[in-house]
Amino acid sequence: MTNPYTILGVSQDADKAEIMKAQMLAMKKKEFALQEIAIAAKQLLDPAKRLAADFMYPAKIKVKRIQPIQSTLTHQEIYVNALNDNAFNSLK
Amino acid sequence: MEIVIVLIIVAIVGYLIYQSLPNTKFEKAQNLFNAKDYVQAITVLNEIFEKHVDAPAKLAECKLNLGKQASAKPEKVNYFNEVVEIRKRISKSESITKFESIEAKALFEIALIQYEETKGDIDKLNQNIKFIDTVNKKGSESDFSSLKKKHFYDLADSHFKKATDKEKSDKLSEAIQIYNTGKDYAEKSDNKTVKNNSVTRIAICQLKRNDKINLDDVSEIGYSDKSYQKELYYRYAIQLLKNKEYTAAEKVISSNLNFKSADIDKLSEILKAEKNNNAVTKIEEINTLIEQLQKKSLSTEELKAFYDSLDKTINEVKFIDIQVSEKISALKPTLFNRLLTQYISAEQFGNAISIIQKYPKFWESPELLKNLGICCYGYTSKGLLTERNYQTVISGWLTSVFSDRVILKSLDDTTWDDNYTFTLVEAIGSNYSQHEETPDNVNYDEISESNISIGATQKELLQQFETIIHKEIQDANLSKLVNDFYDKEKEALENVISVIEKDVFFATPHFAKQNGFNNEIIEELDNDYHNYSNEEALEAGVPYIKNSNSTVVYQYFYANDLIDKVKAAINNENSIAIKNLNTKENKQWIEKFDSISELVEDKLFNSISNKISEDDENEKLIPVMEECILFSSQNAKLKYQYSNYVANYCISKVNENEMDNFKALSLMKGAYLRSPNNPKIVKNFITLIRFNLMDILNDRTRKMNEIYTILDWVKKNNMSQTYKQNSNELSTARREIIQQLKKAGADISLFDESSFSSLLSGHSLNSQGLKMKKVLTYLKELGNE
Repeated sequence: MTNPYTILGVSQDADKAEIMKAQMLAMKKKEFALQEIAIAAKQLLDPAKRLAADFMYPAKIKVKRIQPIQSTLTHQEIYVNALNDNAFNSLK
Repeated sequence: MEIVIVLIIVAIVGYLIYQSLPNTKFEKAQNLFNAKDYVQAITVLNEIFEKHVDAPAKLAECKLNLGKQASAKPEKVNYFNEVVEIRKRISKSESITKFESIEAKALFEIALIQYEETKGDIDKLNQNIKFIDTVNKKGSESDFSSLKKKHFYDLADSHFKKATDKEKSDKLSEAIQIYNTGKDYAEKSDNKTVKNNSVTRIAICQLKRNDKINLDDVSEIGYSDKSYQKELYYRYAIQLLKNKEYTAAEKVISSNLNFKSADIDKLSEILKAEKNNNAVTKIEEINTLIEQLQKKSLSTEELKAFYDSLDKTINEVKFIDIQVSEKISALKPTLFNRLLTQYISAEQFGNAISIIQKYPKFWESPELLKNLGICCYGYTSKGLLTERNYQTVISGWLTSVFSDRVILKSLDDTTWDDNYTFTLVEAIGSNYSQHEETPDNVNYDEISESNISIGATQKELLQQFETIIHKEIQDANLSKLVNDFYDKEKEALENVISVIEKDVFFATPHFAKQNGFNNEIIEELDNDYHNYSNEEALEAGVPYIKNSNSTVVYQYFYANDLIDKVKAAINNENSIAIKNLNTKENKQWIEKFDSISELVEDKLFNSISNKISEDDENEKLIPVMEECILFSSQNAKLKYQYSNYVANYCISKVNENEMDNFKALSLMKGAYLRSPNNPKIVKNFITLIRFNLMDILNDRTRKMNEIYTILDWVKKNNMSQTYKQNSNELSTARREIIQQLKKAGADISLFDESSFSSLLSGHSLNSQGLKMKKVLTYLKELGNE
């Protein structure tokens, strides 16, 4: 089932007049079947059904703007060769 | 006189000849041997060395014992060598055979003395092994074997010592070779110390040589000298650090070097520095990805990989800098949101569902739950449902749409609704009266043109989804699965909502079980039952059960399940299964719940009726029905059903000559027992009594005793009122028989049990007459005379 907003080519905040105008325009364009256009208009003009159509728009989740990570960590030198290989010599 | 002298001479000569015989001499030598006079015994045995077959062996034994008695080693060796030398003098093969076991003992003594002189010298030990390998060991094989093992044991020790000397001089390859030789000897002689220590020292030498080693599954190390273990693991940790195998190094340090030491601290410091550097690298990588994200140059796949990598990075960084790790954690929701948005806009609903479900407690966020609903709808409308995923998708959709909060969330994102208000009065997702927080344009007033029903919106959404699953799934099997599952999940959710009055999160059973909060819903239903004794609450909870538990909902499910098991047993004609289920404890579970106990009889009655409708002459059903009567505490209907079934079955079978009268009587006894006042049952039972008595009279049955047992049972306090009212059939039969007897001129008084005339007449009945008399007596007693 195609979204009625898409069929009529109107935005989510379109008012009644815009919807009816869009219905006429859509009928002229003939991109969709007349029945589909009629159903879409009926759906958007019925508040309960329009709310159902709005349901299909993803909810926007409030999140923080992404920022690079600030850190005081710096690279440290590693001296493996400075280790005493014979520290635990067991054949002394 | 002369004769006497001749006899004496003959006797002396005879005695002398006897004394000089080999056997006599060997006997003498044996006596000397027993008296431990080996020197004298040797003298005698030398005299008969060639003449007596046992003499060489006994001679060798004497010398062997002299050797053992000797205190000085050279003297001992001398005797033992003399034993060996004896072989050269022996010419008879029989003597050789007997000699060889003594020779082997002497050779063992020589080998033992030689072993004592080796004192760990590798060459001497090897020489003596060679000696042992070549000599005769007949009869002393195990002694030689033990002695040889001692040599191996000493060789293991000696090689280990030699190897350590080589190792100290940094001749590592030679040392490894000698450790290996020592290890081989240790394995042969069960010298565990050398074996375990050799394995550890070989690994140390390899590390000193900078060989790459792997200590996994080398169990010997754990049993070796503790100081060797310390050295090995320390060197191994250094090698791993040098090879940048930090995780493995950390594991070695934490598992095997967990003691205080400045040198171990240095290893830990290196690890910490490495983790720090790793964190620095990770932060740089993250910042590069963030930059790409901001420039929108990151593909969805790259974004997913970035998002997936965060948990591992957070774990790695938190040990170095907890604040930085928290900053990285804070990226997750944003990245998640970006990824989800990209998936939804690209209509990759499967991926979107997958990441939402992995998000911790996603159902607590109305936004995420709404987006899950949208993705489930999109996924279904694209025809992607399969047998593997339909449950997740459908339960996700239903849970989303049934959530009032999700619908309210939708209102947040619309602007066209300024002239309207919305009412929750008929919303389908809650039974509680008020949400704690609602938007300004939401109320609980009546529905009107300007006060729009949220419930209508929810129903519209459900209807749209139902249209898809009803009409657009091509595969008939899948379509059935999906639609049945949808109906069940929806019904279960509606049931729960209708019962629970509290503001809890409602989900379908599959959704709740999948996300682990089904027990919270069950607890609410338990509470409802405790407060209102509402068994509907328990019924509503059953689909939410995942495992057995102590809740009342589970007890209710268990009680219902018992009934289902009995129904299954009826279907399978398995009376034993019903008998096994008929326990006091099981009955208590059923009796606990009125809605279950009240319906037990009807449920069983209906199951049996279904079976009867399949086959109304199935004898196997009779014991099944008997067990059902016992199982159900209310059973009048079951008894009626049983008795009629048995009566119809018996009538049909007897009329068609497919069942004898005795079997019919036996079966009808059960029917009569359970329905003693059912006229149809009673009349048929009485008729069968008559048939059976006639069979006795006419010698048509061999079950006479069994028939009388049943009839005695009837006589003994089992004649119901209905029975008494209908038993004249038996009296009539009796009268007819007596009439016939009279016509035949028989003395009727003989058949009358109570008549004195039968006693006074002096006549007696033959066996046929006695049989007749007994039948007439039973007809009289069982009839209503």
